Amino acid sequence: MNYTNCGEFQTSYEKDAAIFKSLFSKICIYGFLISLFVIPFFIDDYFLYLFNIIFIAVIGAVGLNILTGITGLISLGQGAFIGVGAYAAGYLANQYGLNFIIAIPFAGLITAIVGMIFGIPSLRLKGLYLSIATLAAQFILEFIFIRAESITGGVTGLSLDYAKFFNISLDNDFKFYFFGLSMTILMVTAAKNIVRTKIGRAFLSVRDNYIAAEAMGINIFKYKILSFGISSFYAGVAGAMWAYYVTIITPEHFTIGVSIQYLSIIIIGGLGKILGSIFGAIFITLLPEVLRFITDYFTSSYPFLTQAFASIREAAFGIVIIIFLLFEPEGLVRRWNLIKAYFKLWPFSY
Amino acid sequence: MKKLLVLLISVFLVSMAYAGKVKVGALVDLTGPTGDVGKPYAEGVRDCVRYFNENGGINGNEIELLMVDYQYKIPQAIAAYKDFLRKKVVAIHGWGTGDTEALSKFITKDKIPYFSASYSEHITNPINNPYNFLVGATYSDQARIALKFIKDKGEKKTVAFIYNDTGFGRSPFFPDGEEYAQKIGVQLVDKQVVDLKALDATSQLLNLSKAGAEYALVQETYMAASTILKDAKKLGIDTKFIGLNWTFGKTLIDLAKDAAEGYYGTSSFAFWGQSDVEGIKFLHELNKKYHPDVTYREVNYIQGFSSMYVLLSALKMTQGELTGENIKKTLESFKNFSTMGLTAPVTFTKESHKGVKALKIYQIKNSNMIPVTDYITAD
Repeated sequence: MNYTNCGEFQTSYEKDAAIFKSLFSKICIYGFLISLFVIPFFIDDYFLYLFNIIFIAVIGAVGLNILTGITGLISLGQGAFIGVGAYAAGYLANQYGLNFIIAIPFAGLITAIVGMIFGIPSLRLKGLYLSIATLAAQFILEFIFIRAESITGGVTGLSLDYAKFFNISLDNDFKFYFFGLSMTILMVTAAKNIVRTKIGRAFLSVRDNYIAAEAMGINIFKYKILSFGISSFYAGVAGAMWAYYVTIITPEHFTIGVSIQYLSIIIIGGLGKILGSIFGAIFITLLPEVLRFITDYFTSSYPFLTQAFASIREAAFGIVIIIFLLFEPEGLVRRWNLIKAYFKLWPFSY
Repeated sequence: MKKLLVLLISVFLVSMAYAGKVKVGALVDLTGPTGDVGKPYAEGVRDCVRYFNENGGINGNEIELLMVDYQYKIPQAIAAYKDFLRKKVVAIHGWGTGDTEALSKFITKDKIPYFSASYSEHITNPINNPYNFLVGATYSDQARIALKFIKDKGEKKTVAFIYNDTGFGRSPFFPDGEEYAQKIGVQLVDKQVVDLKALDATSQLLNLSKAGAEYALVQETYMAASTILKDAKKLGIDTKFIGLNWTFGKTLIDLAKDAAEGYYGTSSFAFWGQSDVEGIKFLHELNKKYHPDVTYREVNYIQGFSSMYVLLSALKMTQGELTGENIKKTLESFKNFSTMGLTAPVTFTKESHKGVKALKIYQIKNSNMIPVTDYITAD
């Protein structure tokens, strides 16, 4: 039985860019999605919570991957943009009583505008220079979160109600799961489609050689700003979802640490690959929990080691990331492709 | 696969063996940005549990402390919280301001009694946060008491606020401290931001002295406080500094050396050196037994111990099943509960979950922390 081709046999660009390259992959993906909708009936709140934060992280990371992985513009401000989305959703819900179905896309749009404004320097700045400019965005936005008390509630934070969907309040992990999962599928599918259209190809050409891209007639400034806009839209949606999940947002949620975390998600997952953002989000979200589980396991038998293990855990987090980058510099998505290739070519893997 | 199965089964068996114990969760920061004060605090919490376990536990049931180092990160705090719920804890002892706030809605919904080491006043209002409790004077109360102290003592009665631009830093002053100063007629002449990790505060201090502040309230941790004191000494500024609780302890004396002389501090907790206090004597004995090589304990250890002491005592006193509602009811009946003098007597009511409203003002004299007032309140 041959489920997949053992090489590239596409005869048209359409086939090459298809999401489902064969019936088999279509069945696999649909099967996987259906199982995701069934899982929550069998797991407890703790695992539901992990799934929920993975969903939020996936959306934020997909956005950053479009900007950094696909358009090649490094951003250290994703954490703050997520904050903008969270506060925007909170403000819209509190002040205008908007339902979350409207508040979330609006929060995304507001964040997109803010992101585009901070993206303006990207025309002149590249690489490290741009990363410093986006770092500045992070600090400026954090400052605003603390100071604009009438909108953000200052350091006390902003409190909003749980999202309501036809009289069903999404007030626990179980209910939020379905919302989070649907949003993730929607946003990831949209991203996948952005990447394989004209816009996506323009982004790629800007990343690979901006001079050649310009010579081909691509308006570099427009596409760079568009990339910032799309990326920030995703950040805004992720932030709004986080706001509806915890329902209390304070500036402490959106520090530089969060930005760095998102950058490590896409690097570990695989730059420039939508699937990579998903792998990375799962990996980075679960790593601290797995490490905690291990330390808890040891310290329950040897309590005096708690201190030592706490420090080891911090170092272990760093070491795991370094090892990953050493042995899989192209991210988890490459490992995934190698595994797939192994099964494709088996038993004649030469 | 087999190994995995064995591991899973053994984990399951271990967790089964722990059933029937009273489980209490604790969120601590050992390796995060507040680890310097978090570590001794966590030790205090742990020693308190050990002491209770060796003296009958909770009415015969052993206490199992589930301690999680969440590294001051909010998502990790929420993850730990969900994990606590899964393991069916009866109460939780938390840590920072940001995470306590992020958890507050979950706590209310799940009815989990929650003690916090963040002395931020707005989480002590039982209308919004019916399950949050606090042992120790709130930052706002500390600022109010310090302002009252200035009013009673000062000649010019001018004050400046020094803080870091975070939730923790701004909490005592805006708007509570500002309003109270106006109310009692102490003139606020300057506000200066000094970062928590600042190594230089010269320009801020020059501004402050130009504004003519006789006193300055400092809301920082040890490091920034010692920078401020050292720079003030270097510049010859005669403003008197009053630090709130996280700036005041032996670490500060070690860091600032003789620049710390004359520095005031507000603390609702007794210090290790005050051996005339019953609770301190008790802790000396306890440490001799548990940690024979320990000769000194930070005030943070005492904070952790006293806070956990109140929580566990409440569990002990609760009639019937240990549900959130029952524990809350017990806590709200606490009236002048004695912590052996480690703090002023603790009172919780249905209207207020501020356990302690009184504190003493201390001053550093010859590298010792000497109380200069008795327990005083802002009321």
